[in-house]
Amino acid sequence: MQDAQPQGQTALSVRWMIVPAVLMTLAMVVFPLAYAIRLSLGGPGGASVSTENFQRLASDPVFWSALRITFGLFGMALVMQLVLGTALALLLNRYDVVRGLVRTAILSPFMLPPVVVGMVAIVVLDPGLGAANWVLQALGLPPFLWLASPQWSLLVIALIDTWQWTPFVALIVLGGLQSLPGRVYEAAEIDGAVGIRRFWHITLPLLGPTLLTAAVLRSVDLLRFFDVIYITTQGGPGNSTTTLNIYAYKLGFDFMDVGYASALMIALATIVFGSVLFFASLRRKVAW
Amino acid sequence: MKAIALSAIMTLAVGPVLAQDAFDWRKHDGQTINLMLNNTAWTQTLRPILDQFTEKTGIKLRTEVFSEEQYRTRLNTLLQAKSSDVDAFMTLPSREGPMFQKNGWYADLTPFLKSSTSPDYDYEGISKSLREGGVFDGAITSIPINVEGPLFYWRRDVFEKCNIQKPEFLEDLPAVAAKIKACDSSIYPWAARGLRGTVGYPLGGFIYNSGGDFKTPDGKASLCIPETIKGLQLYGELLREYGPPGATNHTYIQVIDLLAQGRVAMTNESSGDMINVLKRPERVEDIGIAVLPKGKETGISKPIVINWAVSVSNYSQKKDAAWYFLQWVTSKEVQAILADGGIAPPRASVFESEKFAKWTNENRPRSEWAKAIQEISATGSPDYQTPSLTRTPEARDILSMVVQQIVLGQADAKTAACAVTEQVQAIQN
Repeated sequence: MQDAQPQGQTALSVRWMIVPAVLMTLAMVVFPLAYAIRLSLGGPGGASVSTENFQRLASDPVFWSALRITFGLFGMALVMQLVLGTALALLLNRYDVVRGLVRTAILSPFMLPPVVVGMVAIVVLDPGLGAANWVLQALGLPPFLWLASPQWSLLVIALIDTWQWTPFVALIVLGGLQSLPGRVYEAAEIDGAVGIRRFWHITLPLLGPTLLTAAVLRSVDLLRFFDVIYITTQGGPGNSTTTLNIYAYKLGFDFMDVGYASALMIALATIVFGSVLFFASLRRKVAW
Repeated sequence: MKAIALSAIMTLAVGPVLAQDAFDWRKHDGQTINLMLNNTAWTQTLRPILDQFTEKTGIKLRTEVFSEEQYRTRLNTLLQAKSSDVDAFMTLPSREGPMFQKNGWYADLTPFLKSSTSPDYDYEGISKSLREGGVFDGAITSIPINVEGPLFYWRRDVFEKCNIQKPEFLEDLPAVAAKIKACDSSIYPWAARGLRGTVGYPLGGFIYNSGGDFKTPDGKASLCIPETIKGLQLYGELLREYGPPGATNHTYIQVIDLLAQGRVAMTNESSGDMINVLKRPERVEDIGIAVLPKGKETGISKPIVINWAVSVSNYSQKKDAAWYFLQWVTSKEVQAILADGGIAPPRASVFESEKFAKWTNENRPRSEWAKAIQEISATGSPDYQTPSLTRTPEARDILSMVVQQIVLGQADAKTAACAVTEQVQAIQN
């Protein structure tokens, strides 16, 4: 018969086991955040604490423009990815025979590094030499400026991100679809709910928590959007694709205005945190 | 008395020999230094011979090479963090010199020049104006590695086919571009930089030759000057009407690619990339190289001329070993090797040597290039943004935004230029 371990020793060893994770969190999350706050509160002429950087945010037109662009990109891309991701998941869920064959190809874009995606986009979408305009012209359509267009470049960026991350959303939704209770569909079939009515009144509400999980995960990335913009447009033409993260990068690494860049990043971190809380609370309300 | 005289004679005779013996290229044998380089034509030409430094000194090099934007990000991050992970690095004094010096990022090379330099080095043999570009607050912070500036590249064969003369004046460019557009629709008449932060370099000559400047006569930063507006308008409209689509996303990489591929008839782009253009054999036959045409009304030809340089990080733990790299890479011997690769040397002795003359006379574009470099060295200016001692990158960004507005048709030159007056004066220091 095995002797039972005294409770005190078990509690102690559990505490020690989580120490590495706590230390890692402190080092990688808490310390950088605290240091960023310290930098953002650094005053002019070596003053120890000043809110000047935050006051500057309020009156900086580029900050407000970047905020609008960030939310614009976030809104466009999130809606497209949730809609298309759900559609793709329904397709994969329905056609069992091809799921295994096609899945890898369909899902592969989100495994690509963002830098690779950006470089490919530059080549394909080049207005003079790219394949995209070649296709348009072959179809008798006029060429398009794509990433060089101040009006449409943000939408193009959203489309590039949607191409890359829709499969990720589809994977999450597919998992949700496969966990839906079968008895609900049986009852619905008996009641005559089929096709689009079944999707709208049964599948979609039941997928609510799953969709919100996907929304949370994508929101964090979309609000912090950087990689593809940095590679393709550097925030241009003009400021048309300058998101908060791109602006903060420029301030910190090009203009060496580290204090102001830190203030901006604190503002962005607050927005990201707020959006996570919002979606999480929404998820709790629709949970079943 | 005899003994004193004899001692003096002996000292004079033996002194130089002792001094030469005192300098030992292998003093830091076995050490490794971290070298960070921007992937310019200079770096591409240098890389194959880096082993020679290790053979000579025993100092190993851990070399990181990045394209320009990534280079700046990485370098700034390391220097901001006061990291010892970089020992020697490339720097552009006209852009970041005062800012880096203010931040204390450059090591002062003056003591190393005095006490740790090969007797053959000849610091004064490097062009004085270029040397002085790296001196801040009396400290020598960098050593020039090249001389470069934007040059006017043009396709002789296209001009001949379209029966056009090379433009004599700056103001002739739009008319020439229009003729090329009408004559040959397969080629873009003009290409130039449009990407944020990069435009000033090819634009500067347009402004100066139009009689403009980046500051008012009383020294205040401004683009709202009639002649400056004229230069901005010329550059912006040329790019808008005759440039390739997507020009606002183009920097020198795209422009040189287009020129080398034969898709562009004219551009004003870096002399440092001449060697990359001539990698295509057909360009050797058909490219012409000159200084940007002067202003018609002003008669002014004031091109842009700058130099890259190498520095030692103030946070390096191996400053002396890093200095050995600097004096090796800027020595007469290495500059002569790099000159054979198309890098214009900042040493007159190398530029005027028979060997370099022979190299430049090997084909017509090279000799035109050498002549143009000599001209821009004599008449050029390194200033191509509104004045700011420590916020030059911001000044260049504002200038680029003005040009982008003109290229995109979002504003006319006067409106765009005058709208930023407050901004450029706010960052003038």
